[in-house]
Amino acid sequence: MKKEIEFTINGKSRKLTVKPNELLLNVIREDLGLTGTKYGCGTGECGACTVLIDEEPVLSCLTLAITVDKKKVTTIEGIGTDENPHPLQQAFVETGAVQCGFCTPGMILSAKTLLDKNPNPTEDEIKRAIEGNLCRCTGYIKIIEAIKLASVRMGGRRK
Amino acid sequence: MPLPEFDYIRPKSVEELVSILAKHGSEAKLMAGGTDLLVLMRDRLVRPRYVVDIKGIGELQGLSWDEGRGLTIGAAVTLNEIIASEVIRERFGALWSAASELADPTVRNRATLVGNICNASPAADTAPALLVHNAEVEAVSAKGSRKIPIEDFFKGVKRTALGPDEFVKAVHLPNPPDGAKSWYLKWKRTWGEDLALVGVAGLVANSGKWIVRVALSSVAPTPVLVAEIQNAFEGGGTLEEKIEKAAASIPGGICPITDVRCNAEYRTHVAAILTKRVLRKLLGLG
Repeated sequence: MKKEIEFTINGKSRKLTVKPNELLLNVIREDLGLTGTKYGCGTGECGACTVLIDEEPVLSCLTLAITVDKKKVTTIEGIGTDENPHPLQQAFVETGAVQCGFCTPGMILSAKTLLDKNPNPTEDEIKRAIEGNLCRCTGYIKIIEAIKLASVRMGGRRK
Repeated sequence: MPLPEFDYIRPKSVEELVSILAKHGSEAKLMAGGTDLLVLMRDRLVRPRYVVDIKGIGELQGLSWDEGRGLTIGAAVTLNEIIASEVIRERFGALWSAASELADPTVRNRATLVGNICNASPAADTAPALLVHNAEVEAVSAKGSRKIPIEDFFKGVKRTALGPDEFVKAVHLPNPPDGAKSWYLKWKRTWGEDLALVGVAGLVANSGKWIVRVALSSVAPTPVLVAEIQNAFEGGGTLEEKIEKAAASIPGGICPITDVRCNAEYRTHVAAILTKRVLRKLLGLG
């Protein structure tokens, strides 16, 4: 029982025909070719597949594609480009918060959600905001530094 | 691994949901956040023919509080909505803290309180909070509606009192006794994500008479309320002695197992310590 869904992906409207058992993660990576969103654990523990739906972060490995009908989906590709990166993307590069890069898209989208709501987070608030995103390389220190740097550049004042 | 095939149904009303379950009950699984269901389906632990998405039902999205009736939380209300509620933070501290400790902020955008209890994991973080707050589960089917006390709701690991054609419409929490405070402490290996090795919710009130309730997760096939805690506060003795007596009754009220996360003896030990900690916190003893 396939169904046609219409949704916005990174600002562009798309129509796709999906089966009920297709996960949003697979549709994003395979049908739309947006491979910035990563497949990590597949069970909602690592945060590598984080995307924004209607500006809220959700795990695309635990989201049926059929449920995003009429919704707005934003992936890491949708928040900045090589020429014009998002301040968080720039800060991650500059501080060395990227090692293998697998957790980075999810980390940045979780951090973006935090900074959009709370431009001046404390270190503890930053840690809480990324507690669903696992990094197996850098040990989080550089990631937290990058989020602090981006918060300043985005107009927040460090406490 | 791809999910097994199923048909997807998205009812718009409770009435429609009731008739879907009357027809397909045993072959259907309800989905709210999907954060438990889709993992179970991926691992082929459940194979529903129909997945019924309840997020489109407006009647299930309400979170309301009233001085007389207390708190009502609809089946589609997410944990982040619970955390955002000032009333819950102030009056139902155990529920607020349990919701804040469950998984991580991204999961909590989707996961629901009702989903957490219907999944019926022994480690369900919100269950001890509902037990100390005397919650009632409103179950609905084509035969009508019934209220199930939360103490009777959990029947075993991943088993509840719900029939195949029944669903939970809402959870009700009566207003706690005057001056009551409650909180949930979760013992876990890492700050984010982990399931509770042991979880303890406590509720304390005293307006002339002690009301003390303690419930735990991850220490028995179901979340459990330890009734003997109340007795510890009914006799004489100092507060410190009452707390010690309460903690001493914990091992007799639980039956933990050894699993991949820790062993039974450790769970028993931690359960008594967390009980003391939560009671001390609620009694203002630091």
